Amino acid sequence: MTERRLAWALVAPALIVTAAVALFPLGWTVWESLHQHDLRMPWLGRPFVGLDNYVEIVSDGRFWGAMLHTVFFTAVSVAVELGLGLFFALALNRVFRGRGMVRAAVLIPWSIPTVVAALLWRFLFDAQAGIANAVLVGLGFLDEPVVWLVRAATAWVPVILADVWKTTPFVALLLLAGLQNIDPALYEAAAVDGATAWRQLWNVTLPLLRPALAVALIFRTLDAFRIFDLIYVLTGGGPGTATEPLALYTFNALFSNLRFGYGAALSVIIFLVTFLLALLYLKGLGSLTEEER
Amino acid sequence: MRFPALLALSSLVLACGGSDDAGTLLRISGSAVGAEGEILTRQIARYQAKSPGVRVVIQSTPDDASQRHQLYVQWLNARVGTPDVLQLDVVWTPEFAAAGWILPLDRYSPPRRDSFPASLEANAWQGRLYAVPWFMDVGMLYWRTDLLARPPATLDELAAGARRAASGSGFVWQGARYEGLVTVFLEVLGGYGGKILGPGHEVLVDSPEGVRALTWLRDLIRQGISPQEVLTWHEEETRFAFQNGQAVFLRNWPYAAPLLAGPGSRVAGRFSVAPMPAAPGGAPTAALGGGQLAINAHSRFPDAAWRLIAYLTAPEQMLERAEAVGQYPARRSVWSSPRLAAALQVPPDQVLRIVESAAARPATPIWTELSDVLQIWLHRSLAGQAGPEAALREAAREMERVIERSGLRKGIP
Amino acid sequence: MRRSGRWIAALALAFLVALVAFPFYWALMASFTPEARLFESPSLWPEQPVLDHYRALWNERDFWKPIRSSLIVAGTTTLFCVSVGSLAAWALARLRFRGKNAILGGLLAVSLFPQISLVSPLFLLLRWLRLIDTYPGLILPYLTFAMPLAVWLLTSFFRQLPPDLEEAAAVDGATPWQTFRRVLLPLAAPGLATTSILTFIYCWNEFLFALSFTLGPERQTVPVAIALFRGQYQVPWGQILAAAVVATAPVALLVLAFQRRIVQGLTAGAVKG
Repeated sequence: MTERRLAWALVAPALIVTAAVALFPLGWTVWESLHQHDLRMPWLGRPFVGLDNYVEIVSDGRFWGAMLHTVFFTAVSVAVELGLGLFFALALNRVFRGRGMVRAAVLIPWSIPTVVAALLWRFLFDAQAGIANAVLVGLGFLDEPVVWLVRAATAWVPVILADVWKTTPFVALLLLAGLQNIDPALYEAAAVDGATAWRQLWNVTLPLLRPALAVALIFRTLDAFRIFDLIYVLTGGGPGTATEPLALYTFNALFSNLRFGYGAALSVIIFLVTFLLALLYLKGLGSLTEEER
Repeated sequence: MRFPALLALSSLVLACGGSDDAGTLLRISGSAVGAEGEILTRQIARYQAKSPGVRVVIQSTPDDASQRHQLYVQWLNARVGTPDVLQLDVVWTPEFAAAGWILPLDRYSPPRRDSFPASLEANAWQGRLYAVPWFMDVGMLYWRTDLLARPPATLDELAAGARRAASGSGFVWQGARYEGLVTVFLEVLGGYGGKILGPGHEVLVDSPEGVRALTWLRDLIRQGISPQEVLTWHEEETRFAFQNGQAVFLRNWPYAAPLLAGPGSRVAGRFSVAPMPAAPGGAPTAALGGGQLAINAHSRFPDAAWRLIAYLTAPEQMLERAEAVGQYPARRSVWSSPRLAAALQVPPDQVLRIVESAAARPATPIWTELSDVLQIWLHRSLAGQAGPEAALREAAREMERVIERSGLRKGIP
Repeated sequence: MRRSGRWIAALALAFLVALVAFPFYWALMASFTPEARLFESPSLWPEQPVLDHYRALWNERDFWKPIRSSLIVAGTTTLFCVSVGSLAAWALARLRFRGKNAILGGLLAVSLFPQISLVSPLFLLLRWLRLIDTYPGLILPYLTFAMPLAVWLLTSFFRQLPPDLEEAAAVDGATPWQTFRRVLLPLAAPGLATTSILTFIYCWNEFLFALSFTLGPERQTVPVAIALFRGQYQVPWGQILAAAVVATAPVALLVLAFQRRIVQGLTAGAVKG
């Protein structure tokens, strides 16, 4: 069998299975987005309206607000997660006693269902019964308890903390696996050449960690961009709509307001934006498979 | 040989399909948790015993309103025939009726005369009844009998009484950005004599009464009569504040009464309920909540579904529910039963006054969208981000746009 | 690294681990606290610890059922995605052919579609296949995010392995399949373990699909079961937190079991060139 045929034979199962489940929903959504389809008012029918839904989205203030919130949330949480994740990975890469337990401990936040984690963090930041206020006031950082979820600026704090708490382990684990693949001999060679720890990190570790960093960055960004459960449970998108991300807005359009055509158009837009981001990443970080050719 | 085995194993699980059902099997979606779940299970068992050939299964759905709503939308839009009997939130009936997802019930002769007018209004669409009220929830004022001689007679008295309270939280209510906030606003609005929508979908919320109502609420926070936290509180947080003795007044639903009277409550035996008061020119208004039962339009057994609904909403079952869970019966005739007095925490005749002042939210299919707009602007104003008049004006404008888009004013073919 | 540097790193790590572990510690303490006390002023240790919540989990909630469902669904999805995915990843990492980027990009694109938009059409599709409220009815939708994740991760890991051993095996006359099974897979054990854990946890946490495609307690997974704990107004914190504690146990055990694999270094004596 030629290499090409073998390759396609190996890739086929994964592709076929994924396509089988995904193509119909994708096609259906795109089709819906070109129609006006309001479930509450069947007497209006399901007319084909072309790009009208998209035009309405572009002039929808709430949409742009949601876009802003999503970008903000993604930028901040991914940056923090990458930094922290790298730190953890580097630390866990060293041999020390109890390493296994620490690894397991670090992964626990991620294994708690998102819904529960959101409730937990809402509880922690409750104005009256939450430990956050108790600690901050007790340590003197605050004069009086803050009502976190009432102001937009402070409402983001538990949201971002909850997400960082929850997904840094994913990044750390990914980077740790990448670190494992770096030949220790390279560090020894660098040390012999007189490089400090910092230089070793910069010149040896980070470049070799690029593929793992790329994957972590891509997946975390794309996940953060589609955040839903966490905010739905923690703030409900409030105060007002100040913490409402795109996915939650789409949920409201679809299942609260039953405007399926409009919601479908929102979905397509989310998809296109994330796809664009993915493309940018791939171009910027270099393709995984063609890197060394 | 591990690898192929793993692959085979996982494919095997994937290949197993679903099963099939046969017979008169009714599915009812309702609460399966706690006391509500228990009483429902008990009543269903009795019903099955006296209806040979019928099996009833509870399909558990989340009690969280928007999660349950999402599931319903999904199932009904896909024309799934189950659950045959749906438990609806009071504001969903017109929406589901307009979408063609539930059956009109007039041909089954539902108990119209025995129901309260507000319930009938909420469950009707285009003159036909689409759901039967199962239990009623009404917003009411809980007040401390050890701190006050009598409940406040006007909204201003309420504010004054709360202001005089020693501790921080005079009056606690639900001010988070969700449907509960709109029900609170509805009560104060009715107290000033205002309405949200007129019968022909006219937007009335930005009237002078509306501004007065929103100003009153905003001032509660501004003057420290209500803690700022109320803007993040749902029902439970407010209940705890009152239960721990921190508040003089609490606006909440009936479910709180047994909890406030139970062990662990610092105010057991020291509270009572009263209607939310009004201002001159208005009338005491209680927001209507509660559950209703409807028949899935694609159900395979609509007649059997009706018989189940008729059983569950019969006076005896309603009384049993009141005794087990403390939920208010939706039938007038049940209110004169002596058993009800023993079941409820508060004397029934007092509560009946509140129930009779119940006002439904506007019965329109687009209510969720309108409420969404209203919630946002109410919350913004209460949080100090917009003045009451400006906020209501903006809200009215957006609500107009939604109504225009729906074509509901032009009438339905 | 100098001595002091090592101490600083250790302290920083300890501090961060404490921060990470604290909310879970809090949840653990709260799960032993009677319900009424939960909303009073917070304390670091329950005054009168009770087992009520855990007892309720077993007696009232039959909590072992959702755990079983979650294990089956997450486990099967992971097994399937890692096995099928590793075949694809090997091809993408090692073999020469055109269209690699298209394939990776295509898989990624599939996982990019917002879940909430997929729910309705997927429901229609699953209903047509009569798979609502079944295990395959959950596993199939999970493939939309699990398969791309597995393929991407595995491709990345395979890519990083030195090809020397495989080339040596080829020279020795091994078929591609033998090379794959006997040389690559053992070498890639850390990557396989990591991918398995990550995929498993992704599936374990998933909520929206599980909520929408299951109908009853026999098939509902852990996140859905926990969501159903909530009454209309009341959030039974004690039980929810107890459930969370219980739900993390299988995952924690899994991680402990796999973590040595994750960090297994290169095999001793591997050719380094």
